[in-house]
Amino acid sequence: MKITAKQYALSLYESADGKTAAQVKAVIKKFIELLAKKNQLSRAGKIIAEFIKIWNDKRGIVEAQVVSANGLDKTNIKLLENYIIKLSGAKEVTVSQKIDKNILGGVVIRYGDKIVDGSLKTQLVDLKNKLIK
Amino acid sequence: MSTTKDFIVEQLKEQIAGFKAGVKHETVGRVMEIGDGIARVEGISEVMMSEMLEFKAASGSVFGMALNLEEDRVGAIILGDYLGIKEGDEVRCLNKILEVPVGNGIIGRVVDPLGAPLDGKGEIQADKFYPVEKIAPGVITRESVKQPVQTGIKAIDAIIPIGRGQRELIIGDRQIGKSAIAIDAIINQKGQNMKCIYVAIGQKESKVASIVAKLEQSGAMEYTTVVLAGASDPASLLYIAPYAGCAMAEYFLDKGEDVLIVYDDLSKHAVAYREISLLLRRPPGREAYPGDVFYLHSRLLERACKLSQEFGGGSITALPIIETQSGDMSAYIPTNVISITDGQIYLMPELFYQGSRPAVDAGLSVSRVGSSAQIKAMKKVAGKMKLEAAQFRELAAFAQFGSELDKDTQAKLERGKRLQEIFKQGQYSPVSVANQILIFFALINGLVDDVPVEKISDFEAGLYKYAATSGAKVLKEIVDKKDLSEKLEAEMKSLINDYKNNLDYLIK
Repeated sequence: MKITAKQYALSLYESADGKTAAQVKAVIKKFIELLAKKNQLSRAGKIIAEFIKIWNDKRGIVEAQVVSANGLDKTNIKLLENYIIKLSGAKEVTVSQKIDKNILGGVVIRYGDKIVDGSLKTQLVDLKNKLIK
Repeated sequence: MSTTKDFIVEQLKEQIAGFKAGVKHETVGRVMEIGDGIARVEGISEVMMSEMLEFKAASGSVFGMALNLEEDRVGAIILGDYLGIKEGDEVRCLNKILEVPVGNGIIGRVVDPLGAPLDGKGEIQADKFYPVEKIAPGVITRESVKQPVQTGIKAIDAIIPIGRGQRELIIGDRQIGKSAIAIDAIINQKGQNMKCIYVAIGQKESKVASIVAKLEQSGAMEYTTVVLAGASDPASLLYIAPYAGCAMAEYFLDKGEDVLIVYDDLSKHAVAYREISLLLRRPPGREAYPGDVFYLHSRLLERACKLSQEFGGGSITALPIIETQSGDMSAYIPTNVISITDGQIYLMPELFYQGSRPAVDAGLSVSRVGSSAQIKAMKKVAGKMKLEAAQFRELAAFAQFGSELDKDTQAKLERGKRLQEIFKQGQYSPVSVANQILIFFALINGLVDDVPVEKISDFEAGLYKYAATSGAKVLKEIVDKKDLSEKLEAEMKSLINDYKNNLDYLIK
């Protein structure tokens, strides 16, 4: 049976988990050799993507993207981090920022496959729809 | 003047104050793979089975439905044009199971399986939305079938009666009048307190257009809805079409009304589902149909029902149509649907080409509900008719040897020939119950024995015309009493004899 990128990434995670830096190096070398032997080096990119997913999943790390209209300061980011931790049940959150003038105000948070839309634009559209009704 | 202005401003302020500016939590995913009307989506981890999805394509959003929930991906069918969707496009869960608009606004309309109008008569005014997939009513809510559906087709109403809440399969080869029977049945529902839904699955649009024109012309569109998934529509729309039609019927059922729904035809529906299943990589079984093709039709046809009075007393009568390949009734889909339904009307090519139309084969056709779906008067005449028909079939095979026959046998053969002639009926010309009873009564009492076989159709047409003028009282009594008393029988006899006195072609 064909071994999926996910399975490779999972085995790499399991063999590297809890090892010292030197041990990890050895594991990675062996892993690359295995990939070369199985003719799977071309799938390295996919395996790395899966590995990051598995790593974050096991460690309870959530990567979140926050979109705002004018940028956010440190205190607001801290507040948002706590909010995302509460929503997702993760242990740690890494937040990346993005600025989009189109949303007018408020924030849109994306983490995993979830979107929390608190933008002014969406709310105005909702208000418009409600008034039309 | 100022009061109304103030009122409006007040209302506006109130509305804006009452508006909750909540944050929206949404689950999204991305298209991994797309092709042949099937998309594989990653993400959307909390999606439900048969939940509606919204594909945000560059050309506008398209709806889809989740069908395969796998470990790390979701297989979805796209209900509409999938050519605009690209890999990597965003997919949004809509948090609701696929549903269609229902209500009185759909009557007289031609709609697609999602309830969008196709007839150019403007928006559909929907009262409610009903889920496309619904569990059929249970034992407690049901009642045995007992009221008739008058199809207006003599051969069916007499030999294979259909009751309200029954599922009667119409089966036969291509081009021998399967749809014609269903359309005639719809036309005859005028004034019978029945809503009709005609679901066209994979039909040629030209054929559907002519059917709609015919229904309009005969005034049947006043109580009929046409749900159309044409031959050029994607398989996903063909697949949901009968369920959507049934959901529309359930709205009237819940209001306690009677509905007649025609699925034309379920063999194309099974083929569409096979296409979807194979594209979703579900394992194929016999004839490459997936394993759940039986459930596909059984869950649809179980939704036809007769509810008891406590639960509103409504009914859904289903007339599924199956097309066979050169009379092969033992193929996979025909046997499945035969076993699900409460009987079948089998149309025979030989009979059709001999000119006896509708080509209903009285031997292979059955109705498992039987005479409880007939009014008493019809029961009385139809019982003897069945016997005559059966005897004739037996003797006709025997008489082909050409040996000399005794008088009794000859008489039976002669009557059988007239019976066959009476069962012939043109398309779009349904006959009312009272007229049917009158002509059957004439036959079983030997009143047509002296009419030449080739003159039977003239005799019949003339009799209806004569009865409409001189026998209106008798016809009305049949309809009102629904039974034949001795007095009424005598009146019918004298009516027919009076009519015969004016004829010149009788055998002396």
